[in-house]
Amino acid sequence: MAPPATQSAVVGTGATRLPGAVGSGSGPQSSLERFFATSAGRVGARLLLIALILLAWEYAPVARATRFWMSSPSAILGTLWDWLFDGTIWAHLESTLLVMSEGYVVGCVAGVGIGFLLGFFSRLSRVLAPLLAGFYALPKIALAPLFVILLGVDNSSKIALVAVTVFFLVLTSTIDGVREVDRNTVNALALMGATRTEIIRKVLIWAALPWIFTGMRLAVRYAFTTTLLAELIAANRGLGFLIELNSGNFNTTGAYAAIVVVIICSVLLTELLSRLESRMSHWVS
Amino acid sequence: MNDLTPARAVAADAGTPAAKIRLLCAEKTFQVRGQDIEALHPTDLDIRPHEFMALVGPSGCGKSTILNMMAGLMRPTAGEVLYDGQPVTGPNRRVGYMTQKDTLLPWRTTKDNIRIALELKSHATPRAEAEDRVRQMIELVGLKGFENHTPAELSGGMRKRAAMARTLIYEPETLLMDEPFGALDSQLKLLMLDQLQCLTQHRRMSVVFVTHDLGEAITLSDRIVVLSARPGRIRAIHDVKLERPRDVFKVRFTPAFSEQHERLWDELKDDIIKGTDV
Ligand SMILES: Nc1ncnc2c1ncn2[C@@H]1O[C@H](COP(=O)(O)OP(=O)(O)O)[C@@H](O)[C@H]1O
Ligand SMILES: [Mg+2]
Repeated sequence: MAPPATQSAVVGTGATRLPGAVGSGSGPQSSLERFFATSAGRVGARLLLIALILLAWEYAPVARATRFWMSSPSAILGTLWDWLFDGTIWAHLESTLLVMSEGYVVGCVAGVGIGFLLGFFSRLSRVLAPLLAGFYALPKIALAPLFVILLGVDNSSKIALVAVTVFFLVLTSTIDGVREVDRNTVNALALMGATRTEIIRKVLIWAALPWIFTGMRLAVRYAFTTTLLAELIAANRGLGFLIELNSGNFNTTGAYAAIVVVIICSVLLTELLSRLESRMSHWVS
Repeated sequence: MNDLTPARAVAADAGTPAAKIRLLCAEKTFQVRGQDIEALHPTDLDIRPHEFMALVGPSGCGKSTILNMMAGLMRPTAGEVLYDGQPVTGPNRRVGYMTQKDTLLPWRTTKDNIRIALELKSHATPRAEAEDRVRQMIELVGLKGFENHTPAELSGGMRKRAAMARTLIYEPETLLMDEPFGALDSQLKLLMLDQLQCLTQHRRMSVVFVTHDLGEAITLSDRIVVLSARPGRIRAIHDVKLERPRDVFKVRFTPAFSEQHERLWDELKDDIIKGTDV
């Protein structure tokens, strides 16, 4: 009989305390809540959290070997500082961004171009569909070693890999965009006497644009990831190479520093994309 | 094929007035999940040149299907559709078709949507003249002040009117209209009927006009085709004996109008009640 009694007592006190707490402690608690609801409060909370993690990381009482594997924020910062001024970061960052953007542009142009072609000539696309589906399903990173053999360890092999990745994403969204065009709209233009070219120029391209933008937006992240992966696999420059190099030398501090740079890059990229998106959505929709 | 030959012979005969559009035993069956749905029973119908013809009938009796076949967007399952005596095999560029669901381009403004036909090579128009005609059309359908709105920013009735302006602007010789004024309030509807009557009479267009509204049909038409519930077939064809020009605002109050309305309603009411499954 005793356990149920205590249990009910606990429930009882809990039930009576809850409204009391809200009533009596509402002053300080709600003002703290209100503080976190403001954007300054949120940023403050975030910084506080990061500071706590960094402090724990820096001062955790761990064995020497463990310290070697986990490095420390001050050491990482020191390495970043050195890299910033001896130019290491810039050289590798430049290489990564160059590979990424060149591959991206090539992939987008080819994807949109060939996507429209296949969208317009549905017979051609029906012939190619299974082949495209096969390639689309293939994780493109599997091609990386092949591209290195074909094009060398320099940028061109990585640009090709990024381009192929981006190409398939943009290609499929372009084809889908052209396919999903409302048949009735196309018919309406045909009845007005529009030629095939006019229908393409005045309807298909415009109707496909939102789809193409969706594919291109998705492809930015893929381009970044693919570039890094390609650099990790085989490279002599780039942020991925920097991680790989330092890990290979058991320089954990250097590896962490390179990862920090990658994180900063992807945060900036995400920020840039969402800015572009919000501006784009105005005239797309 | 054999049973079509006499009808063709009649069409070719110089004595009878040539039909603008002719359905010859045209029938349409849709396949829906392996099931045959007979939308239109084999039907013969002539639309005379410069005639205003209304199609009325319960929902789902094949009115839109008939227009789609006349526009060449659908082939009859059997039988034939002739336009000026020629079989319609592809999109029929001689007709302007205002579909039941509008097909305005969502990325274009009202004004740019209305202008689109004039941008095409087949109706090539100098820019200044095109602008002029667009302005006239916008005024005619009462969309002044909404020139720069996109379709998403227009009400259902406004979209219908924009679609109508887009079809009328290039003055097709034949007009197919599928419930063009369904979404309009009755005042505006009368104004639109008036404009439509002026334009089609003035340009001597042939018109096939689908509607639910018997009053609308009587006000505008030379003949009214009454279709029965699915599978659609022609139940009767009524001549409207009201002289032209008609005053769309007043003609409804004349005895001839009421009498016509009554006769049509008698024809339709059983089917309307049967056909309300949609
Ligand atoms: N594309 C289609 N596929 C299948 N069934 C259709 C199609 N279009 C119309 N139908 C059917 O054919 C019949 C007639 O349709 P419709 O011509 O649109 O009728 P109405 O315009 O008189 O309301 C309806 O029963 C409809 O469900
Ligand atoms: Mg219909």
